[in-house]
Amino acid sequence: MQDLSRCPRNLLVCERSSFQNQKNRVSAQVEQMHFNYKVSLLLPDCSSAPSHLDKVLKSFSSFYLIKKLPIYKLLNEDFLRSAVYNGSVYGLSYQTHIDEDNCISLMPNGILTLSLDKDSFELLGFEGKPSKFNHRRRSRFVVTVNLTDSCMAPGERRYLRLLEGLKSRLPLQTDFLLSHHPGGGASLDPLLSCCDWSEHQPEVSVRSLTNLSFPVPESCDPHSFLQWLGAVEAGISCENSSNSFLSTLICPEPKTQTDCALSACVSGMLLPQDIQRLIGQLRCHLEQVRSWAVLTVHGFADSPMSWGGREHGFLRGGENFYSLLMSHDHTYQLHLAVGAHDACPP
Amino acid sequence: MEEKLVQAPIPRGLQKVLGVEPQRSSRAAAFTEAFLASSLQQPDNQDLKNLLTHKAVILGYTRPKKQRTKRSSKKAKGLTAQQKKALKVFQIRPEHQRYQLFLPLHDLWRQYVRDLCGGLRPSCSPQFVQQKLLKADLHGAIITVVRSKCPSYVGLSGILLQEFKHVFKIITAEDRLKVIPKRNSVFSVEIDGFVSHIFGSRFEQRASERSAKKFKVHGSIDL
Repeated sequence: MQDLSRCPRNLLVCERSSFQNQKNRVSAQVEQMHFNYKVSLLLPDCSSAPSHLDKVLKSFSSFYLIKKLPIYKLLNEDFLRSAVYNGSVYGLSYQTHIDEDNCISLMPNGILTLSLDKDSFELLGFEGKPSKFNHRRRSRFVVTVNLTDSCMAPGERRYLRLLEGLKSRLPLQTDFLLSHHPGGGASLDPLLSCCDWSEHQPEVSVRSLTNLSFPVPESCDPHSFLQWLGAVEAGISCENSSNSFLSTLICPEPKTQTDCALSACVSGMLLPQDIQRLIGQLRCHLEQVRSWAVLTVHGFADSPMSWGGREHGFLRGGENFYSLLMSHDHTYQLHLAVGAHDACPP
Repeated sequence: MEEKLVQAPIPRGLQKVLGVEPQRSSRAAAFTEAFLASSLQQPDNQDLKNLLTHKAVILGYTRPKKQRTKRSSKKAKGLTAQQKKALKVFQIRPEHQRYQLFLPLHDLWRQYVRDLCGGLRPSCSPQFVQQKLLKADLHGAIITVVRSKCPSYVGLSGILLQEFKHVFKIITAEDRLKVIPKRNSVFSVEIDGFVSHIFGSRFEQRASERSAKKFKVHGSIDL
């Protein structure tokens, strides 16, 4: 009989410090998380979005969605020279499931990662390692290539081998999300000119909540706080009324009541720089308002890479997110959470 | 006792009838003795001792060993494996390792396969061609590694020079002699538009033994 009380493990890393501390790791953490899907913000005691926050939320950079990009185009010489070598190009394959299909990701430091299933890897013929999350039989392989390395310069043997493999032996073609490059749209031209593409702005949605009971942040443990936070984001009521059997989630004690709260959410392919700016603005806002706020950043569930190039997988859930609880006195609590097929967050 | 008559003169009347002349008794006696001596056997009892001394008596015997001659084999005796290694019969010297030299061999192989399948028309069923290829000799075919558990073998292509039990020896277009193990790889052989994929793991027999082997049909094989 299967033991239903045991479920795949989750990891939660918590940190409590202050922004004024020199060694605070917030900016390092934010930078390391390359592929962010959603940022959600909860501001209690706030009826409508303040103007400067609103401006920041709307100024997240846009991104391109390229339909059916042949992956060997990522090795195009012009693209490498103009975009990849300068850094700060983020790319991720779209609507490919990490546990079923082949996924590709391009990080700003020039590392191209292909997460392939067994047949594709055997067809491609390029060196790779078996995934760390294989259970008994090797069914997933990860090919990591540093495009800025000298042996991968155009014309070298390894470069030609990978190019030939992606062109003739394993012609991969997926939808691709590509971030805006600071050098302008022209640097991404080699990719954009050949395929069907469209530019998208991150979606912003703001809603206000009424009659919300929320816990006192300093005095509740991280697990129950995160559970309450998730319930609020998902719109699940924490009343635990006797005539409702859908949810028995309650707000952790001690709690206070508020009339109104603001929940804002931005989704799309978000860059760490924009998130840094948002955090800066939030700190200024909290100084004025004398309250606290929670910022949650979710990573893509299907990206091959998580924090700092660590491998990411999907077992029952592909969560990799971090939650930053900021107070008006510049102290913060940072919670980093991952699911089963993930390495421990830094 | 009265002596029985042994001899008696013939009566006168019988002499005339028989036409014989009677002889005198002394001459008749001599004749009779001579006649008896010649017609009766004489037992030589005196020679018993001689008999025993000069005759060899056989006590027991052994047959002399026959020289068993080995059956001379009619076919020519081959070299043993050690002798082959010493003579280096199957090594191809570097001056012979040129791709261009083996292209005529490839043409010969093509002709051979065409004859084997009875003329490769586009209307032939692929099953039929595959069956023939499985039992055919592949020396001289251009084979390509399509999939392999080891990524560095993928993409190698060349003319097959030697087929051993576990490896293929091919020469690539860059004049390099490559040794490819059969296990855990999928090879593709192409003839006149028919491409056949062969799973190397199931192909690990000597070429001579493979012609007699029956291949089972599997759905799909995972490397």
